[in-house]
Amino acid sequence: MSSNSLLFSINNEGKVYALSTSGSCWREFMYLGLEFKTLSAVPHHLWAVGGDRQIYLHVHGLEIPIRVREESYENERWLPLEGFSGRLLPTDRYHFSSQDGTKDRSIDRIRLPSMAWQWEGDWQLELTLDGQPLDHDGWTYAVDFPAQFGSNKQWKSCVRRRKWIRYRKFSAMNSWCAIAPLHKDPTQEPFIDVSIGGIQIPYASPGTLSVWAITSHGRVMYRAGVSTTSPEGLKWINISIPPNCDIKQISVGPTGLVWALLWTGRAIVRKGITKDCPTGEGWMEVKSPNETKLISLSVGYNAVWAVSSDTRVWFRKGVEGNGAGVSESAALGSGWLEITGNMSHISVGINDQVFAIGDSDKSIYWRSGITPAEQTGKRWRRVQANMQLSRTSSSASVVSSNSNAKHHSLSMLNESTTERKSHINLHNSWEESHSAPIEHTLPIKPKEANKKRNENTENIDLTGKSYETTLKNPRAWSPVRSVGSVVGMEAQPDSDSSVFDVDSGMFFDDEVSQTAWGTCETMWAFVEAGACSVDVMQIPHWFSDSQNAFNMDLTSKWRIEVLDRLKNRNSNQKLDLSIYGVAVEEKGWTRSCEARLINGIHTSEDCILSLYWHDLENIGTLSVFQPDGTINFILNLGEVTSVINTSEPGCPRLTLSFPHLNKISIKIQFISEMEQEEWQNVLVDITSQINGLTGKPSANSVWAISNSGDVLNWDPMPAKLNTSKNGRYTKEFQVFGKDIMSGVTTPLHNNFPPGSSLKITGCLHDVLDRFYINLQGPEVKKQRHKIEKEVTEIPLHFNVRFDQVTVVCNTKVSGNWGSEERHKLPLAPGQEFCIQIVCDVKGFKILLNDEHYCSFEHRVRPETITSVDVQGPLRLFSMEYSTTNVIIGADEMYWRMIGGYLRRVESCQNGVVWGISHDHRVWVYTGGWGGGVLKGVGSKDGIHSMTDTQTYCVYENQRWNPLSGYTSTGLPTDRHMWSDITGRLKRTREHTKLLNRHWHWISEWMIDYNTQGGVDSDGWQYATDFPAPYHGKKVFTDCVRRRRWYRKAQIVTEGPWIRAGNTALLDISLWATGDEVSVWAITLAGDAIYRTGVTVSTPAGAHWEHVNNPQPLVAISTCNQIVWVVGRKGELYYREDISKENPSGSKWKLIELPKYNYPYSQKSSFGAKTVSLTTTSAWVILSNGAIAVRSNISRNQQDGKEWNHLTECDLTFKQISAIEHEVWAVTTEGIIQRRLGVTDENPVGTTWQPIHSGNLVHVSARGVCLQ
Amino acid sequence: MANDREVLREIWDGKLPICFQLAQEEIMEIQQPDPFYVMVPRLSYFPLVTDKMKRHFLRYISQENADNEMWLDYNGQPLKWHYPIGFLYDLYCGHDPQLPWNLTVHFMKFPEEILLRCPNKDVVEAHFMSTIKEADVLKHRGQVMSTMQKKDHNQLWLGLQNDKFDQFWAINRRLMESHGDSEGFKHIPIKIYSDDGVCNQRLVSPKNTDGSRKTLQQMITELYPDKSNVKLRTHGVVIPHDTPLQWLSEHLSYPDNFLHLCVF
Repeated sequence: MSSNSLLFSINNEGKVYALSTSGSCWREFMYLGLEFKTLSAVPHHLWAVGGDRQIYLHVHGLEIPIRVREESYENERWLPLEGFSGRLLPTDRYHFSSQDGTKDRSIDRIRLPSMAWQWEGDWQLELTLDGQPLDHDGWTYAVDFPAQFGSNKQWKSCVRRRKWIRYRKFSAMNSWCAIAPLHKDPTQEPFIDVSIGGIQIPYASPGTLSVWAITSHGRVMYRAGVSTTSPEGLKWINISIPPNCDIKQISVGPTGLVWALLWTGRAIVRKGITKDCPTGEGWMEVKSPNETKLISLSVGYNAVWAVSSDTRVWFRKGVEGNGAGVSESAALGSGWLEITGNMSHISVGINDQVFAIGDSDKSIYWRSGITPAEQTGKRWRRVQANMQLSRTSSSASVVSSNSNAKHHSLSMLNESTTERKSHINLHNSWEESHSAPIEHTLPIKPKEANKKRNENTENIDLTGKSYETTLKNPRAWSPVRSVGSVVGMEAQPDSDSSVFDVDSGMFFDDEVSQTAWGTCETMWAFVEAGACSVDVMQIPHWFSDSQNAFNMDLTSKWRIEVLDRLKNRNSNQKLDLSIYGVAVEEKGWTRSCEARLINGIHTSEDCILSLYWHDLENIGTLSVFQPDGTINFILNLGEVTSVINTSEPGCPRLTLSFPHLNKISIKIQFISEMEQEEWQNVLVDITSQINGLTGKPSANSVWAISNSGDVLNWDPMPAKLNTSKNGRYTKEFQVFGKDIMSGVTTPLHNNFPPGSSLKITGCLHDVLDRFYINLQGPEVKKQRHKIEKEVTEIPLHFNVRFDQVTVVCNTKVSGNWGSEERHKLPLAPGQEFCIQIVCDVKGFKILLNDEHYCSFEHRVRPETITSVDVQGPLRLFSMEYSTTNVIIGADEMYWRMIGGYLRRVESCQNGVVWGISHDHRVWVYTGGWGGGVLKGVGSKDGIHSMTDTQTYCVYENQRWNPLSGYTSTGLPTDRHMWSDITGRLKRTREHTKLLNRHWHWISEWMIDYNTQGGVDSDGWQYATDFPAPYHGKKVFTDCVRRRRWYRKAQIVTEGPWIRAGNTALLDISLWATGDEVSVWAITLAGDAIYRTGVTVSTPAGAHWEHVNNPQPLVAISTCNQIVWVVGRKGELYYREDISKENPSGSKWKLIELPKYNYPYSQKSSFGAKTVSLTTTSAWVILSNGAIAVRSNISRNQQDGKEWNHLTECDLTFKQISAIEHEVWAVTTEGIIQRRLGVTDENPVGTTWQPIHSGNLVHVSARGVCLQ
Repeated sequence: MANDREVLREIWDGKLPICFQLAQEEIMEIQQPDPFYVMVPRLSYFPLVTDKMKRHFLRYISQENADNEMWLDYNGQPLKWHYPIGFLYDLYCGHDPQLPWNLTVHFMKFPEEILLRCPNKDVVEAHFMSTIKEADVLKHRGQVMSTMQKKDHNQLWLGLQNDKFDQFWAINRRLMESHGDSEGFKHIPIKIYSDDGVCNQRLVSPKNTDGSRKTLQQMITELYPDKSNVKLRTHGVVIPHDTPLQWLSEHLSYPDNFLHLCVF
């Protein structure tokens, strides 16, 4: 369920069906009057041979359109008389060129590659340079072309250039798109088979695909230029085959490995297919299994499966996808292995899962139990999914295709071509046929386009809706003329998109209209699993065995009967149960183990842990004994605020935080991972029970992610309920027995705004001269001759002086005392007293023993008060603090582990929570609790399997020396020859270890050919010295080189999260209005998108809508229908005109960046890194980790008015989350800080309050509401 | 997998109010002892829950019998300690439920020919563990128990003894998993008793020959081809006939991993 993928099949009528791994019904593709013979798929791309023996492409399931940005630089040179002009020197670059000037990029010659593409608006100028706005013409100036261009024209600027950009979009999404035939007459050389693969060719750049086809003449064709950004490719290339080989079927594996099957029943294998040579070098023959002829074969990652003519199934041993390009034996395998079962067709899917069609019953079977360790699996299981009853029987469809121009049958297409042949001057060679029609021939609906243009000339809005409506005129396409002609356009959304409508996640009710589905037995002719990813841990609901029928069990009649009867067992007997004793005495239970206590980085001591837990009394203690049995210390589990996994590879560890005590936290290392997990489970369970937490946290809770990917949650609700007294919240501080002589400072978590009060009771010593109570601001670092801390702001100083027989009230502002107000001394030594300080709008009222004593007008805003300091010879009995907000100190915040493995989490005020994992996949919180290590805590509801992938990198560094060239012996001052990216830490491939047993490697160590800066053919990057920019081409001055090795690892776990969409995201932001949530996000490619239909009841929403953006983006935040984004170069934009009616807004506007002299750096301006918006201000983290606050943001002034800076601290931050007056941030050290004193008048707040010192990476406080 | 926590919890929390009374002929004091009322977990065994009751009655019997083994009877029928309490109630009282369950306590005349001796709780533990092992042999050819550690076995026993659901199920979950490729157990550990207490133990597969889930009705037809109206009771409830056996075994088995069903 964690991911959606599709299994495709063709029935005996030639109709195509899809079965989603998250659904349980076969859904039929819209029938277009065309039957299909074969299919081949990778995720989102489906290639097929139609009944007319032509090749069709179907791109589907992409949530955001395929967009390609075309760029062209317009270059001009200054000439003495004419000024700047397009006449350039003969040695110069083209007038319109690529960025490096080597290619001619004349704007009028940049055309759409095929009819499947459409321009998105006209050519536009780029008007920013590195985040700074340029003048309206967008020119940038330089001395000469290969130089640094700047925004200002100077006397020495001899050349200038500007950048034109235009986007084109693949418009043939969700429709069959005909690929041009090889010859003018499509019947001359039809196709018999096609296969797509190559999604995991070793070292190839992401998005590479590989398509091979067989023609009826037995020729093998390779489609050049196919990738995820160019789904239809460029042209066919003929691949020669050995003589006497007549090929009938071809199969491409994920690693690009190609096997072909001959009519004689033998197989041949293409060798030498690598990222640089996708067509391979030559053919090799494979012996068939003894005396059998193969009739069907399919290539997987590390497997090849085949079916022979006597319906036996064969598995090829020893095939190794990664090495197939360089090793013949890895491509060929070592031998055939017969597998039980009789099949007529076979297909290998993702993770080498195998599907086949049974020979006798023509049903589809899945091979269960296939794992990397057991590649042949265990047994065949029949796929039993309901059928969507055919919407178009084959006879009816003929009628419909005649009446509906949209549903053209292919026969009609061909007719129309013959008619029009005379008009089209076709070039005879098929290679020329990819020349696309120029833009003007595109049948854009004139009305619509005009209207749009009038409304908004500079930004033609194509947010993904409009491309569906264009290209409606069926006469515009002909399969002969163009590569990308479109057979059926975007299916009608109400009926036909349902094939792919599985994306709505957990709330998609597959069984809504059960009537539309039947269970009729279908005879399948073909199955294609290339896009099908079956989660072995949580297999789809396709099999009618007990395990999968469990969900049905929950609602079945007998189960409800059993449960009802169980519940009513003793109810008919009226009994007074109070006289009955308890048979089993409630005892606490204990658990103990040996462990090590980690004190510092290098010191540790053996200890014995002993846990005692009594669930009736809700008491738990953790005792730590020394090995000889003496008690080291005992911890009350009620005081533990978090239990966090802090393991390192080979060292399973837990950290318990308890800010109550001086020790703050302990780190325990366990003997084994199993033991650590058991303890984590038990401790989380017990501490949650003590804090009364279970199930789904309230909507107003704060979410955080720890360094180890654990999801933590702090829920203010229980505290809110406990301390509320008619809207006032009171907290009593533990002061009894504290040493007041040297002063006691207690933080006031909600400051001291009007409405707050403080009550102090105590007893004076018999001999005393003075005592004081300070309501004061934060400590600030003062740099005099040495750094010291001082309190500079004391809004109220209440000083009782027995030596002077007076009471002094005063204020300290910026370190200077103001004028004193004196009152007469009301107290005597040895007296018990009760002092109450009440803050109202005008000033402080001070009550002594419940009688009004004096008033003190505000000289400084009382919101700046962050703590109370009492000092003097007295004893305190109690100190009570009450305000209008919930008072919660860090020591009372229990951070509950929710389960799951994520990198980021974002919440909003109605409880919808989204997360992003390290591999950028998106998850939505299901409301469950537990999963993974947390086994017994919650119910199983909402717990799904989760996976995440991380890439480990090491750098191999070499230095050149005159004798032996580049070697791995560096200078003594050099970095390690195997290191991390900074070179400071030694990292070797052999010593890279996985964190725990839930991780496993999913690849070998590989050279990264896609490192930033470019690499040579062996992956090396060169530089003059180590900390220098690297480049891919070796030049004379280069003395060092490095290359990056990477290896991927995957974690398999469980958690209360479910996948939402399959678009990879960088950042996401949620904002709730009532039940609805607006969700904006940044894709991995840097595009801004927003999600439609997200509500509390459908948290996963419906689908993404794409919003054009000028520059690749990295971060986003939304609040109150204002959206701010951060560009890759640190620039800030906001989106204009977003409203409920127009959720995508109109255009991006640049926001000025904060400029100031930061005291700790010389640079005057920093780009933004991330942003968090509230209704009135924007909190921005700059690239140096400092925070800038843009204030006075409103609907009318969406970019705010001024920048404010936090000057009182030198903390640096990596992430921030703000809503209303709550601002939470994570420092670079991983400490969560909360900003105190944020008000409308003082939008930057007064000070940071450390909340959690664990190693955290992300916090989201966007749901918090403490009022 | 036994993952219907709601049912599991309901089964675990099943309790019986029992009223113990000392047999009249054994009272040696003038004063009549008060009956002893107690709520007893249905899943437990009598030796685990009668310590307090025994102490309560010891004062009223003659000292020479104090060291004798205690035993219980219901309506003159001695109760076998090695059956779960809930099952004993269903067997003798199920057709006519009466609460509290009135039991008579004896310290004399131990019925050697009917009851096994139970000198201490270790005997109960040994019996309990051997029953679980027997069930595991039926379910997984004994593979699960043999891979468990001693402390896991101990946790099962302590979980039952101390009435700790989570403690018990943390381990028992592994025993209730289906193994390998097949969904479902090899055989269902099941004991069916007629109302005279005669036990009938057969090899029952959780599946029909065509691979579909076998229901209770299908098993009844197999076992009692000549009887028409067979009903089965366990945990104080009558089981619907269309309940699948595999589910029944996973969720309604007693802690000893056996289904104890009473025919009526």
